Amino acid sequence: MRVISCCKAVPEEQDIVVAKDRQISFEKAEWKFGQYDLNAVEAGKQLVEAAGGQLSGLCAGGNILDNSKMKKDILSRGLDDLYLVIDESLEQADTYQSARVLEAAIKKIGDFDLVLCGAGSSDLYAQQVGNQLGELLGIPVVNAVNRIMPQGDKVIVERALENEIQVLEITLPAVLSVTSEINVPRIPGMKDIIAANKKPVTKFTLSEIEVTNSLPSSTVLSTLAPEQAERRLTILEGESEDIVDAFVKLLRAELK
Amino acid sequence: MDFRLTDEQELFVAGIRKLMAKENWESYFKECDENSEYPERFVKELADLGIDSLLLPEEHGGFNAGAVTVAAAWEELGRLGAPTYVLYQLTGFNTILKYGTEEQIQKIMALHGTGKQMWNSAITEPGAGSDVGSLQTTYTRKDGKVYLNGHKTFITSSAGVPYLIVMSKDAETGTKFTEWFVDMDKPGIKREKLKKLGLKMDSVCEVYFENVELEEKDMFGTEGNGFDRIKEEFDFERFLVGCCNYGTALCAFEDAAKYANQREQFGEKIGRFQLIQEKFCNMAIKLTNMRNMLYETAWKYDNGQKITGNAAMCKYYCANAGFEVVDDAMQVFAGIGVAGDHRISRFWRDLRVDRVSGGSDEMQILTAGREVLKKYR
Repeated sequence: MRVISCCKAVPEEQDIVVAKDRQISFEKAEWKFGQYDLNAVEAGKQLVEAAGGQLSGLCAGGNILDNSKMKKDILSRGLDDLYLVIDESLEQADTYQSARVLEAAIKKIGDFDLVLCGAGSSDLYAQQVGNQLGELLGIPVVNAVNRIMPQGDKVIVERALENEIQVLEITLPAVLSVTSEINVPRIPGMKDIIAANKKPVTKFTLSEIEVTNSLPSSTVLSTLAPEQAERRLTILEGESEDIVDAFVKLLRAELK
Repeated sequence: MDFRLTDEQELFVAGIRKLMAKENWESYFKECDENSEYPERFVKELADLGIDSLLLPEEHGGFNAGAVTVAAAWEELGRLGAPTYVLYQLTGFNTILKYGTEEQIQKIMALHGTGKQMWNSAITEPGAGSDVGSLQTTYTRKDGKVYLNGHKTFITSSAGVPYLIVMSKDAETGTKFTEWFVDMDKPGIKREKLKKLGLKMDSVCEVYFENVELEEKDMFGTEGNGFDRIKEEFDFERFLVGCCNYGTALCAFEDAAKYANQREQFGEKIGRFQLIQEKFCNMAIKLTNMRNMLYETAWKYDNGQKITGNAAMCKYYCANAGFEVVDDAMQVFAGIGVAGDHRISRFWRDLRVDRVSGGSDEMQILTAGREVLKKYR
């Protein structure tokens, strides 16, 4: 089975700083791969371990993807090889632009059975790219996948819905977006890290995969952190009617 | 001097961080410390990341990753509160590969990657501490067999290891110091676990050998070479103790710094008081010194230079400076540091032990002093 797991490089959220003027600064943020994408890589690894085959990684993004540590990082998580589409414009790509780039790259890569995505990117978490990619490739696409079992030229997948578990049989090739509960990504050991050095990496430019510029569906005008409200520190303790009344009264006063 | 780590080292350290964040290890360490139990589950997870293969040669599935990698890993583990002192066995595989027979190698390598305790040296005796030459344990050859008799004390890990490598002298002349690879299941061996102040996740025992029947093939290394063999180990072991002490001190320091920035007295965060700031200044200086000394020693080791003097200085300086840092951090914590269950009190007990265990302060000073003067002879 040939599996392609898609991953996005994102800024480390712990390093994002909110300035006094509520502007968001990414200046001190280290880069990493989105934590939900690591579930997609792990799911791919488990499939390949169970059914045999090959697991490729596919990332589209800015120049950070060419950083040697970033490449080793994602390769150390069980990929057999890695494909990168690098263009500075991709750092700001919206979901449709991302899906189009991934589609073109996948067509360039060639045969595949399964494309895996995370639940959403760790930065924007729009949860759209997987579905859009399936549509663009014209193949079955399912999100919120909690379990994948290979079965010949099909896969059986489970989706955790609100009150039930839905079991679907899906013909391959297909695109699946997995949940963050599907697995616990393993921590790469020294062996995996050293092996990452020797794995093949293929780089594409946008023109090499024949993607023409598409306009973004929207443009970000500004991003501001919410205004800090001073905490009132009013604490009411107890379960009596009086306390509840006082609580409601305070809430009402605040909402006016 | 370039202190940057390689991509591989940074990714390995990031993996350690991930492992440490995976669960509340502190409650496990606390439980192991209270019950004086080896944290095998934790060591197994580290082994899965390859920590027991870091120094192993490549032909044995190792990474030959060098002392700088070890220092970086120990630093991060220590910083996050892990008891790195239980990992001293890391170098044990290399020792066995170097001196062991095929059979001995097989027995020890079977434990590789399992997180289980494997072996330790048994040298110290009631009458032979720093003065190793006074040891009384003997081996006697009789009817093609070898019989071991004696009493060892303060033997680290001895409650949990399946094998001890026991230092003894020949009963006839008393001049040949020879080591024996002893399976602890053999008849005639008695272990009595001792209580101790710190480093409690690893055991110490009194170990008695009474006519323990061995064979010639159980000899470890060559006859009469025991002292030279152990001397070779000292340097790296001392360096490693320094790494443990530094990491633990770093953890105490960070805990205390966060606390000082949050605890209020007299209407101010206590970190605003100059007497507290002075402590942090001195703690930071000591931590910087420890770090520089350890990384320099690691760098020398990786570049094939002799580290005897450096390693003794690391052990002596880090055990003392590390203890002072933990002690200052404890003072910042005040009541919380001495009562209740903050981990700082465990660190304080642990670091005090390291001024005695693994070669006392005084022996390190002698070694370092001699090495320094040698250069000017």
